[in-house]
Amino acid sequence: MKKVIAALGLALALAGTVQAADADPLNSSRWPDLQREYLNDAPVAFDPRIEVLAPKVAEDSMNVPVTVRLKGLPDVKRVLVIADFNPIVKVLDFQPLLAQPGLSFRIKLQQASPIRALVQTGDGNWLAGGVWVDAAGGGCTAPSTGRSAPDWAQKLNQVQGRVWRDGQNQRVRLRIMHPMDTGLAPGIPAFFIEQLAIVDDKGDAMLKLETFEPLSENPVFSFDLPDTGAVALRVVGRDNNGNRIDAKVQP
Amino acid sequence: MKGLRNSTLSSLLVAAFAAMAAPQVMAGVTDRDIENDAKTTGDVLSWGMGTEGQRYSPLDKINVGNVKNLVPVWSFSFGGEKQRGQESQPLVVNGKMFVTGSYSRLYALDAKTGAKLWQYEHRLPDGIMPCCDVVNRGAAVYDNLVIFSTLDAQLVALDQNTGKVVWKEKIDDYQAGYSNTAAPIIAKGLILTGVSGGEFGIVGRVEARDAKTGKMVWSRPTVEGHMGYKFDAAGNKTENGISGTTNATWQGDLWKTGGAATWLGGSYDAKTGLAYFGTGNPAPWNSHLRPGDNLYSCATVAIDVATGQIKWHFQGTPNDGWDYDGVNEFVTFDMNGKRMGGKADRNGFFYVLDANTGKFERGFPFVKKITWAKGLDAAGKPIFDPANRPGDPSKGADGKKGEVVFSAPSFLGGKNQMPMAYSPDTGLFYVPANEWGMEIWNEPITYKKGAAYLGAGFTIKTIDDKYIGALRAVDPKTGKIVWEVTNNAPLWGGVMTTKGGLVFWGTPEGFLKAADAKTGKEVWSFQTGTGVVAPPITWEQDGEQYIGVAAGWGGAVPLWGGDVAKKVNYLNQGGSMWVFKLHK
Repeated sequence: MKKVIAALGLALALAGTVQAADADPLNSSRWPDLQREYLNDAPVAFDPRIEVLAPKVAEDSMNVPVTVRLKGLPDVKRVLVIADFNPIVKVLDFQPLLAQPGLSFRIKLQQASPIRALVQTGDGNWLAGGVWVDAAGGGCTAPSTGRSAPDWAQKLNQVQGRVWRDGQNQRVRLRIMHPMDTGLAPGIPAFFIEQLAIVDDKGDAMLKLETFEPLSENPVFSFDLPDTGAVALRVVGRDNNGNRIDAKVQP
Repeated sequence: MKGLRNSTLSSLLVAAFAAMAAPQVMAGVTDRDIENDAKTTGDVLSWGMGTEGQRYSPLDKINVGNVKNLVPVWSFSFGGEKQRGQESQPLVVNGKMFVTGSYSRLYALDAKTGAKLWQYEHRLPDGIMPCCDVVNRGAAVYDNLVIFSTLDAQLVALDQNTGKVVWKEKIDDYQAGYSNTAAPIIAKGLILTGVSGGEFGIVGRVEARDAKTGKMVWSRPTVEGHMGYKFDAAGNKTENGISGTTNATWQGDLWKTGGAATWLGGSYDAKTGLAYFGTGNPAPWNSHLRPGDNLYSCATVAIDVATGQIKWHFQGTPNDGWDYDGVNEFVTFDMNGKRMGGKADRNGFFYVLDANTGKFERGFPFVKKITWAKGLDAAGKPIFDPANRPGDPSKGADGKKGEVVFSAPSFLGGKNQMPMAYSPDTGLFYVPANEWGMEIWNEPITYKKGAAYLGAGFTIKTIDDKYIGALRAVDPKTGKIVWEVTNNAPLWGGVMTTKGGLVFWGTPEGFLKAADAKTGKEVWSFQTGTGVVAPPITWEQDGEQYIGVAAGWGGAVPLWGGDVAKKVNYLNQGGSMWVFKLHK
């Protein structure tokens, strides 16, 4: 305990404004465990600049749209998205690199739960924002529809993409065909995309993320990147069976 | 894949995710470790307990005198509803056991306690076409990787510590009938694999990939007329010569869908530098459609690992008309100061060949009834009995069905996929043999992609009411059967022998058995609760000798059945790993 207090004191002294002992504004009984598991008990400041946008009630527990919006928060290195009460908590771990630190995606929700964005800035500090989403339940333990579609193997890892450019920025929206099975439905092993990156024409990553089972089947993502002109972007990645994703997205 | 090279993609992914890669903990498995596998007792690094395939262990802590004290240490369930044939030979590395299960699953276990470390379940498409059950025969290990092939014809390399996929390569298109069930073997940093799908008119081949990266190094077709290829470090493909001479032993263009699947994988002998792959039946089964020897079907092909060229071949059944699919393992051993190889062929003959040149030394039956050939000539070629080849359907009364003949062995063979063992102590091979025959007839057939390509009908018959299976001790110097232990159901598991003077094998009735290697006297048995169709292994850990075997009834026998069904249709399925040691 002494050690923790000392560490907190040091963090306070260095960061000044960071409030290490922030109570969880979402009042979730899981939060202390999650803070230990994912942040190694590092202090977290709940910050109004981090917004997680999601419907109050999930109409479809298999497809809950989520947007993480970061307003005026400089130097974001990492955005970790978790859902407290999902049987698999981690949703994605995003490194924006050249992209805007906000993103949109869809998840499966097993029951009512906070959805949180834990944001790490260049100085190593953690900030957080989140929202409660009510849900009827069952999103994670049902088989994917792709599971019973006879042609899923032919469509696997196909990418549909669209790009909107304004000269300065481009918004990239992707859909990747994948069952994203959680391994929690009886007799169906986990099968999900685990790595994804957008790379430029030289092969340098512009953004990258690790993805996990709770993302919806045929996951959809929106990212904001600097406009690269007429050069095609390339989406690369793979799932936990080693099946590759590799597609060009033409502007 | 938008025409982009895989190699480029792999490097992009590696670069993008380099920071996330887990650090390597333990020294990896080397070529040297693998070449010494048969001599080192603390591990089992390859299918065959040494790439030579002798399945002999120099361990003698468990021996004829004390084997009665052998008791189970742990049993592990493969879980799920996927209880089908378990034909896997486990590997043991640094105290970890790697064993594959039916439906392309792989388990990492603590070898001493049976505690599960991780499991990998490969997602299979609905349309896979394995001919003979959804089995897998085991993995290969190299560096920090454990590598196995899948029913949808892919090769997956996993990190031994985490079970995460490190690389994955597609061997071929499962929709064209390709699949893969054999354990890969490692030779000089290359991972060698064959292909399955001989019932679908595929083309057999052997491929070598860089075991660390999965990048292709060479490919060698096992059907005459097809081009072999080499690949440079950048993945550029160059021609490496046609296998054989086009149309020399195949007329017309049937060689284009010629079969000769290398579905049981191969063996490798560091002393000769050669990999030995058995090849399956030519396609279709109807031999009247393809006059000629039909190279390299029903043969053993010796490939120089360094060049990807065929150095020699020996064909057991030219112009096969009985599905005497000659994939059976070629086990190298020393005899009279020479490096030789032994093969118990599906066609019922045991062949002893010079491992360097393929020169025929001796051949003799290891089953009691052979009808298709009257014997072997001085060069080892069969002396056919024309009356016992299934008739030409075009000469039949209605042109739709040829004359029916009775043939022995049956198409499931005098020996099938279950590997034999060789003991340098006794100088004997221990062959899991089966005595059965079949009625077989030919029908017209044309090739259609992804469809069964047989042109034959058949039904299996028993020969002796009392038994089908017979574990036989065979002397390669004399051709004599020194002893045998018969078994009611057909034998379908492999054999292992030890310096402790023991031979271990499993039966479909569920017993793992041990016999005195000299006399064949049964000295121990244990009921595993389901049929054993996998080869046993042994290793040493913390001063104690362990015996392990996978259990789970299945394989080709229950699928083909026939007259044999009454000996096996009451057997229950399962899926588990059993480990034994001496109680104190």
